[in-house]
Amino acid sequence: MKQTILNFTRANSGLVILFLLAIPLTLLSPDFLTGNNLLTVALQVSMIAITAIGMTFALITGGVDLSVGSVAALAGALAAGLATRSGLGTYPAMLLALAAAAAVGLVNAAMIVWGRIPPFVATLATMAAARGLTLVYTQGKPISGLDEQFTFWASELGKIPVPIFVLVFVALVTYVILHRSLFGNYIFAVGGGEETSRLAGISPAKVKFGVYVISALCAGLTGLLLTARLWSAQPNSGTGLELDAIAASVLGGASLSGGAGSVVGAVTGTFIVGILSNGLNLLEVPSYNQQVIKGLVFIVAVVLDYVMKQRLK
Amino acid sequence: MTTRAAQPRPEGVNWSVLLQRFGLALVYAALAVGLSLLSDRFLTVSNQVNIFRQATINGIVAVGMTLVILTAGIDLSVGSILALSAVITADLLKQGLPVPLGILLALGIGALMGMVNGLMITRGNIPPFIATLGMLTVGRGLTLMYTQGKPFTGLPDAFRFIGTASLGPVPMPIVVAVIVFVLAAIVLNRTRFGEYVYLIGDNPVAARLAGVNTRQMIVLVYMISGVCAALAGLILIARLDSAQPVIGAGYEFNAIAAVVVGGTSFSGGEGGLLGTLLGTILIETLNNGLNLLNVSPLWEQVVKGVVIALALLFYKAINPTRK
Repeated sequence: MKQTILNFTRANSGLVILFLLAIPLTLLSPDFLTGNNLLTVALQVSMIAITAIGMTFALITGGVDLSVGSVAALAGALAAGLATRSGLGTYPAMLLALAAAAAVGLVNAAMIVWGRIPPFVATLATMAAARGLTLVYTQGKPISGLDEQFTFWASELGKIPVPIFVLVFVALVTYVILHRSLFGNYIFAVGGGEETSRLAGISPAKVKFGVYVISALCAGLTGLLLTARLWSAQPNSGTGLELDAIAASVLGGASLSGGAGSVVGAVTGTFIVGILSNGLNLLEVPSYNQQVIKGLVFIVAVVLDYVMKQRLK
Repeated sequence: MTTRAAQPRPEGVNWSVLLQRFGLALVYAALAVGLSLLSDRFLTVSNQVNIFRQATINGIVAVGMTLVILTAGIDLSVGSILALSAVITADLLKQGLPVPLGILLALGIGALMGMVNGLMITRGNIPPFIATLGMLTVGRGLTLMYTQGKPFTGLPDAFRFIGTASLGPVPMPIVVAVIVFVLAAIVLNRTRFGEYVYLIGDNPVAARLAGVNTRQMIVLVYMISGVCAALAGLILIARLDSAQPVIGAGYEFNAIAAVVVGGTSFSGGEGGLLGTLLGTILIETLNNGLNLLNVSPLWEQVVKGVVIALALLFYKAINPTRK
């Protein structure tokens, strides 16, 4: 019995932390456990969660993708620009923007696989370059005037905001890819040890190309949703998104040294951060103090996770 | 150090080693020649002084970052350390704290935050990326809390000299940056500590077996990084005459860019301060060149990204065994 509980905790440490957070918040604030409030949290975290899912793919292979914030901004700007200025139509513009995001992912993978540059530095380069291209394309100014087809993606269906549906959709698709497909097994194999995976007949190069394209596509999608939500593409949107996404993935059990991580973990990790800041708001903690608390919780959670895993070894 | 000694020395000219040592200097020379042909203003004293002054802040942060990356670590918290030490010092200076004490206080805060990073990494067994990411968040939060989101402006003149005064024709920030580089180079290349820094990055197990107190060394390295960040913050607020709560945000990536363009390997143990110095100046010269050639500053980031990628591909091409 004890072993079962410990095993569950190890596999789902993110969910455990989430519950540990939710219980005191429910007791302390009557507004916390209401449908409206939880929907608000879900909307706020849905976009970071989509990026965090992509980030988790990169982390599992032992890599990292620092370019996600810039890719989100680039995709958002391209979609808004093409939709409003080129007469291309909103959906073709969005698809082209996602293709551009995927192209950045290909560049990342090419540098990592063929150039053998460490992922941190390769994606640092594209982080700068994609932000720069966004600034050049937008001339540093927001692009507004989006039509209803575009802003639909931030509207509500029934009472539920559309980005939440998008998150659920992305989570389902990526769940199948990561946990129910052969390619998913390959991703974990590469993260567990590149040489071993090669001996098992897996091509780490192909896996990495797939992983960085998935991460870039997730980031691009986030950029489209951010743009829809703000009714405009901001050249500086998505700044710092990479660190939020990494923090969420790690809180959800992904390891920076690769081989560990899950889609559910990425989503719960994002929800931990979201619920924490929502709770601090409800408890009327001044916003300036919140970041300190969030940082401390992040560190404590990582240490607890580490200690727990050591004990179970 | 050990890798350098282990490399084979074939007869004749070893182009790969030559390129590795001087490649960056050659690129810089080519860039300088090109820019001086394209623009009359490039090679003027005032423009060169300007480039170096622009490079000082990032250069000083990058000195600490070089030591950290040599140990195969990373310090994402430098921007937040810079900010917290800067705003506290600015506030106390305004309330009449003597300038020397203010400077010591800032450096002390930097050292303390660096020490916390180092202890989290060595005692808490948290990967450097995560530990310093936590410090980035906490440090920025403390800065926002301390300032309540408002800037401190109007610093005493006696303090502002480190940002605005000149020693002859040379602006004070450059003097400080040169002192930092020289001191750090001595520490890294001429002391036991410096040897250990390379050894820890190259082979931490060997370092431990050789009796090096690796934990203590790593804590020291992060403290140095914190002190460098705090010092850069002092120069920055002295120049701007104001300490903003968002000051220094994103500086970690600029410093990392300078270090890796300078040829320090991300897996540790390989590289050095001369490369970082060149990397910092190269990036700043490129920005300056774009400016002189009337290219929109919006292109700066694109160019920076391309330079990072090209530099790393270059290092990999001339030394395929590089990790």
